[in-house]
Amino acid sequence: MIKKLTKSFTFFMKVSIVVVVCVLVCCQLLLAKTAESQASATLVKISFSRESLQTAISKLEAQTNVKFSYNPEDLKDYTTIPHKFKNEPLGKILNYLFAKTHLAFTEINTGIVIYDKTASPKSSQLTNKTNERNIVGVTADITIKGKVSGSDGPLPGVSVVVEGSNQGAVTDSTGNYTIKAAPDAFLVFSSVGYRTQRVPVNNQTVIDVTMKSDSKSLNDIIVVGYGTQKKSDITGSIVSVNGQALRDIPASNLGQALQGQAAGVDIQKSAGNSHPGATQSILIRGTRSKNASNAPLVVVDGIPLNGSLNDINPDDIISLEVLKDASATAIYGSRGANGVLLVSTRRGKKGAPVISYSGYAGFSKPLGHYDVMNGPEFEDLKKWGLINGNPGKYTGLNDPAFLTDGSFAPQEVQSIQMGRSTDWQDLIYKTGFVTDHQLGVSGGNELTQYAISGGYYNETGIYFGQSFARYSAKVSIDQQLGKYVKVGLNSLNTLTYTNGENANPLGQALRASPLSTPYDNNGNLVGFTAGSANQVWNPLANFVPGAAVETRKRFGTFTTAYLEANLAPGLKYRFNGGAEVRPDVYGNFYASATTNNLGGASTANNQTTYSYNYTLENIVTYDKTIAQKHHINFTGLYSLQESQAEQNSFSYNNILSDGVQYYNPQYGSNLTGTGSYSKWDIISYMARINYGYANKYLLTLTMRSDGSSRLAPGNKYHVFPSAAAAWNVTQERFLSDSRVLSNLKLRVSYGTVGNTAIDPYQTLGGLTSVNYNFGSTNVTGAYPTTVPNPKLTWEYTSTLNAGIDFGLFSGRINGTIEAYHEYTNSLLLPLSLPPTSGIPSSILTNVGETENKGIEVSLSSINVPGNGRNSFSWTTNLNITFNRGKVTKLSNGVTQDITNNLFVGQPLGAIFDYKKIGIWQNTAADTALAKKLGLTVTGSGSVIGTIKVQDVNNNGKIDAGDRMILGSDQPKYTGGFTNRFGYKGFDFTVVAVYRVGGLITSKLFQSGSFINTFQGNYNNLNEDYWTPTNHQNYYPKPNSASTNTPYSSTLSYFDGTFLKIRSMTLGYNLPESIVKRISARSLRIYATAQNPFILFSPYRNTFHGLDPETAGALNVDTPAIQTFTFGINMTL
Amino acid sequence: MKRIYIYLCSCLFLGLITTACKKTLIEAPKSTLTPAFFATNQGFQSGLVAAYAGFRTIWGPDTYFEMTVPGTDEFIAGNDGNNGLVKYNSNFNTADGTVATIWKNCYTYINTCNGLITNPPAGLDSATKTTGIAEAKFLRANYYFILVQFWGDVTLNKTFQATPTTSATRAPMADVYNFIIQDLNDAIAALPLSPQTNGVLPGRATKAAAMHLLAKVYLTRAGSSAKQPDDYKNAYTNAINLITNVAPAGGLKLQQDFGNVFAQGNENNSEILWTVQHTSTLAYNGSPTQNNSGPDNLLCHLFVPKYEVQPGMQRSTLYGRPYIRVVPTHWLTDTVFSERVNDQRYNKTFQTMWLCNNAASIPNWPNPLPAGAPAGAQPGAPKFTVGDTAIWMPGYAMTAAQIASYRYQVIPPAKYSIALSPALTKYFDTKRPDQNSPSSRPIIIYRLAETYLIAAEALFMDGRTGDAVQYVNAVRERAAYPSGNPQAMDITAGQLSLDFILDERSRELCGELVRWMDLARTGKLLERVKLHNSDGKNNIQPFHVLRPIPQTQIDATITGSPYPQNPGW
Repeated sequence: MIKKLTKSFTFFMKVSIVVVVCVLVCCQLLLAKTAESQASATLVKISFSRESLQTAISKLEAQTNVKFSYNPEDLKDYTTIPHKFKNEPLGKILNYLFAKTHLAFTEINTGIVIYDKTASPKSSQLTNKTNERNIVGVTADITIKGKVSGSDGPLPGVSVVVEGSNQGAVTDSTGNYTIKAAPDAFLVFSSVGYRTQRVPVNNQTVIDVTMKSDSKSLNDIIVVGYGTQKKSDITGSIVSVNGQALRDIPASNLGQALQGQAAGVDIQKSAGNSHPGATQSILIRGTRSKNASNAPLVVVDGIPLNGSLNDINPDDIISLEVLKDASATAIYGSRGANGVLLVSTRRGKKGAPVISYSGYAGFSKPLGHYDVMNGPEFEDLKKWGLINGNPGKYTGLNDPAFLTDGSFAPQEVQSIQMGRSTDWQDLIYKTGFVTDHQLGVSGGNELTQYAISGGYYNETGIYFGQSFARYSAKVSIDQQLGKYVKVGLNSLNTLTYTNGENANPLGQALRASPLSTPYDNNGNLVGFTAGSANQVWNPLANFVPGAAVETRKRFGTFTTAYLEANLAPGLKYRFNGGAEVRPDVYGNFYASATTNNLGGASTANNQTTYSYNYTLENIVTYDKTIAQKHHINFTGLYSLQESQAEQNSFSYNNILSDGVQYYNPQYGSNLTGTGSYSKWDIISYMARINYGYANKYLLTLTMRSDGSSRLAPGNKYHVFPSAAAAWNVTQERFLSDSRVLSNLKLRVSYGTVGNTAIDPYQTLGGLTSVNYNFGSTNVTGAYPTTVPNPKLTWEYTSTLNAGIDFGLFSGRINGTIEAYHEYTNSLLLPLSLPPTSGIPSSILTNVGETENKGIEVSLSSINVPGNGRNSFSWTTNLNITFNRGKVTKLSNGVTQDITNNLFVGQPLGAIFDYKKIGIWQNTAADTALAKKLGLTVTGSGSVIGTIKVQDVNNNGKIDAGDRMILGSDQPKYTGGFTNRFGYKGFDFTVVAVYRVGGLITSKLFQSGSFINTFQGNYNNLNEDYWTPTNHQNYYPKPNSASTNTPYSSTLSYFDGTFLKIRSMTLGYNLPESIVKRISARSLRIYATAQNPFILFSPYRNTFHGLDPETAGALNVDTPAIQTFTFGINMTL
Repeated sequence: MKRIYIYLCSCLFLGLITTACKKTLIEAPKSTLTPAFFATNQGFQSGLVAAYAGFRTIWGPDTYFEMTVPGTDEFIAGNDGNNGLVKYNSNFNTADGTVATIWKNCYTYINTCNGLITNPPAGLDSATKTTGIAEAKFLRANYYFILVQFWGDVTLNKTFQATPTTSATRAPMADVYNFIIQDLNDAIAALPLSPQTNGVLPGRATKAAAMHLLAKVYLTRAGSSAKQPDDYKNAYTNAINLITNVAPAGGLKLQQDFGNVFAQGNENNSEILWTVQHTSTLAYNGSPTQNNSGPDNLLCHLFVPKYEVQPGMQRSTLYGRPYIRVVPTHWLTDTVFSERVNDQRYNKTFQTMWLCNNAASIPNWPNPLPAGAPAGAQPGAPKFTVGDTAIWMPGYAMTAAQIASYRYQVIPPAKYSIALSPALTKYFDTKRPDQNSPSSRPIIIYRLAETYLIAAEALFMDGRTGDAVQYVNAVRERAAYPSGNPQAMDITAGQLSLDFILDERSRELCGELVRWMDLARTGKLLERVKLHNSDGKNNIQPFHVLRPIPQTQIDATITGSPYPQNPGW
């Protein structure tokens, strides 16, 4: 029955989507006549008596929250005719008011600019008494003309005021203005959404100004969960990153672009992975959960994205908000525990079509070579290994037996004799290329706005077979239907091709003996490289075309549609529907002669994944201002999210012809397959009230109830409340005259969010299948590997957040300081049980509590404002984050759980190991001490020359009780800074990220990596190892008998500090004269260097590591790269 | 128009609210099975299959192998061998991953057996239920027997673990042995007679196998601190009953030719009591990609020396993949197998000759020719051709001049090395799909020849030397086939000793994953390692007769009392 209902419901949902989409399409064809868009579409109920036009506009401004920009002089001669408007669009009211005037209006960003339409081409220019006095005064005024433009061309409606006077002008529809001012006066240019500029006249008669959009403006509209708010009305902790900052770095995805740009957002390469198409690990305010995902929720245009960050073209993003505290994220309830990234993509604007093109191309190279041994160094290592592994067998390094007893392969002997050495890394690296092209058109009229863009991104890796390409197409349409209804559609579509995502010839290249060669005497590629115990296959074999093929083709559409209806004044209903469908086809084929198969049978694998998810939301908002001072906004939501994924995977080997690759299992043998299916649902109800009193005192209350299919019955539903309050101190009278403080806001919030970002079906327990045979009878069995957890429930995080937003010196310095304290309860933890429990896999349970507390500071400063194109400007953005996380409690009073690496009082990610205190030396004292500790001091297993660890518990032997907490991966602080300089059309931007403290783990240095075994079977990291005559105290002795150097893990911990210059960009905006000649609106060219420097990194500088940036341990993988690109941005 | 939209919106809104409320948040997995499946008949059968398949993770990989083959008087670590466990040096500590793997796997599948034994589905017909439970008990006894031999007192789970626990205790060894013996007695009562019985598929548990194991369990307990007065008696009673009654009735008997016991394709022969199965249908053979991991049978690689880097040689499927984990001790090749005239087993156990298979690496005669070069040697000409002998280990000492007179490499015992020594051939698999693949040969776990030796040992230890001799001689006489003199192989009661029985076990069973236990059971581990094992002789200490409780167990036992470690570790 239930199944039936679910089925019919799903069917209904699908039908609903189809209906909405059809309606949207049909409405496109039925262009209704009178309708306004955006701010001008706001419905207003107002009545005018005979009053001044200025009073009327003020009333409208107060009631609609729409910001008007105008020159009061333009309005002063007009009065209104009494009239009552009953829910008419604002635009219509304005048209009525301006009917018999010279005035017109236009919408700029989010406000409305009123200007004198008759003043063109001369701008409105009025003189008053002050002005006359000036004329009579010391100096005669001069007439100044000029043009004001923004990033998209001329800007109408910009207010131009002579500083210290009442004299002013407003630019006309083509952006021109005329004003009179003293030759030594200053002109102040201001407009909503743009940074105010102060320009000295300096006897000039022509002053052209380019306005820069100002993300810090208090009137900016910020996207919040399920709606938008003025920045000044925000009560929670939200960082806003504008599109410009995101585009400072030519990036393949959002994660790369956002790195270092926002306080409290820690973005690092996952396990140091640098291959094309790799995605990053994003942490907001540290790690709180052990098993459940710590990745933030990404919401694109209002709908949660379940795909990868690679599925979004970063060039389509115009702004990004990061919601950090519980007040801001509580509205996302169970999915908000790790913070939320709200991504807004480009939409059309009213106006003539704007065509934009941007593109770049460049090349990349490795940030360095792994420091492995060359021929002679390796020869010595191997000899020392054999000497130590076979005590008494060799007389010393010069024992001739080494060259005749098979210790070295014949080819290695030859290399030793002729002084030949192969640098395998030289042979595998190549220059990578990256290119990106974006073409977009946007525009619209009163009723319809559209934006269409297409993009192409392609990156090839630093070795053959690695690449990532993305084709993207985006369409957005907003359509007004009649007076009350508006619909829109936004479709983001990407097709990505990833080649060689697991291609990693480095393992073999680093292990191959430098005394061997890749080609035999006839010039053919060899298979196993000489030496290396026939375990290292020639890495170049994988570069033979068709030998190693690995591709992932992923198509995705992320389409959202909405329908918005004004039901009554202030009352709005909105339906949001979003669907994401992503087929993903993966295949790999490795021929016999590849590093994957070492000359064995060729292998192939096919995987097909189909995932889809949808979100349906019904949102009701009510907005009302009572008695002009009490502003109330209510948001109510009902939503349903569902996600489904299916996967099949087939493997086979011994493929008849290499040309078949992975396309047809019929030509292979031993076909095996697996499949998987998973589905989850979340049903939510949410209500939020924002209350503001006179823009001074703000209060937000949120309540959300979520039900998740992934939790145990009885625990599925939970309510997540939050409350926040803010005080705009600068709105108070006592600060209104402050010359220093332009903005001061105090905020405090408390709330709870949840986390169910776990795989489905974990409450049910599971069996693992296993194949077996009885003679020729093949059978499949199953055995329990996990047990059901009928108690599984939400993981909750409660956050107390306090923040100060401030602006100093007329907004020259803006900043935010946040302090927070997060408590996570019912921590979702995969508990590994004792083996005797008979349950081999970990069980997901709610065990323990963690806390995170921290301080975040963001500052942006206009160091040198710059006045127009020709003067010097300099701005700085800076952020720093301090986060301290720790486990505060484990269940049953347990204080340390070594198996699951949980220690009360320590951060998640604690490093628990033996403490290395040096190398056992071949001295009598050390030998005696070693013996006393029960250690072997003779034979191939002698500890002399190996890593010496401390007897921490002083029990007279080295045992498990000597392990201790060595540190954790938690840094002391992290952050980033951006400096932008401008002069004469040139701009120079430097983006840097830094990280101080914390331990990183580099598995390269562990024996398990096979490049630091000290065995001599394989090439080794080039280290100054211990020998009986070299008594150095850091790296152990080589030993041919030992694959694993004991305690080699202690070699892998390093201070993770670094300062990385992420990018340096030099750009040039071509002057208008040239731009005009090619009929363009703007044209910028630039060159960028990415990752040019890594500074202050002990890992890189002292230990010859490549890149200390990693979330999780570093492995033997594609080295980090430097990229150099050249690009162009153009609008037509 | 406007009204239409409003209606549309309202309908949509109301529709969603009302219908969605009915949407349930129930999970219905489709691609995975949950424990509820075990309550079905099919689930019972599949659980039993898994309990069998668990042994692929014990016998086959190099973990159990490292714990039983090297570190004894028979084998030492080879060139790529273990540098801790098998040498008893201080690198072998409680963190050792090898012992942890065996420990964990045993308990995982014991739990599977417990589920089958304690909660059989109600709908199961009684015949299936009876044999099924008997099989599960036989398997569980095997898992516990492994645990108790390596670790002594161990956790004794008698029932299915349905809820997660983070505490554990160790039961006295005596309890564990009693539990094993009870299981085996129950199994013997219900299992089919023998692997040769009609309808019994290869690899299935049988009465014969259970009796063999029970004899061995008694014999082992007799050598432990949990010994009972009649253990030896019970051991030989079971063994003799198997040899004299059950085996003939079940079509079991010693193979005529020792060489046939391990012949490829003959793993279901008349001597075999129980095997862990593998198949050439690779999808069912072990790890999904047959990459020599997890449940794969690697025994074919582990004894193979580094022949492939020798002149004239390269890796081949025929000669195997040289994992070279172990090489035989000189005691094994030179002393135990010194008699090779009547005893045919040395030549049927070891490979001592490799034929050239790589033209590209055939060496040329130097110019001038070395002293004593054979007639026909031409300076600059290849020493031999593909198909000729490339390496030969004569098994006896030779002078340098004698060696020089051969065209190919001759390696007398004094030149055996950890890289190149005679290779045990019992597990060779020449039919693998490629030179790197794991084996698809079933692994012989119990065979009738060992039953004879168990009977002999139990009788001898019980003071019945005269009765014991016949069982030793039965095995020895067979070893003479075809060209030796069986009567010359016979020994007398006066010659029989515990050491002789251990030596005989080496000749018959060397490399068959039992040696470490044989030495531990007979109390000869320290003595023999000190005498014959060059790796461990300076390191082994009395506490090494038990394996360390894995640190993973101790670390994960976070509630209740701490999990006790074995003494000395």
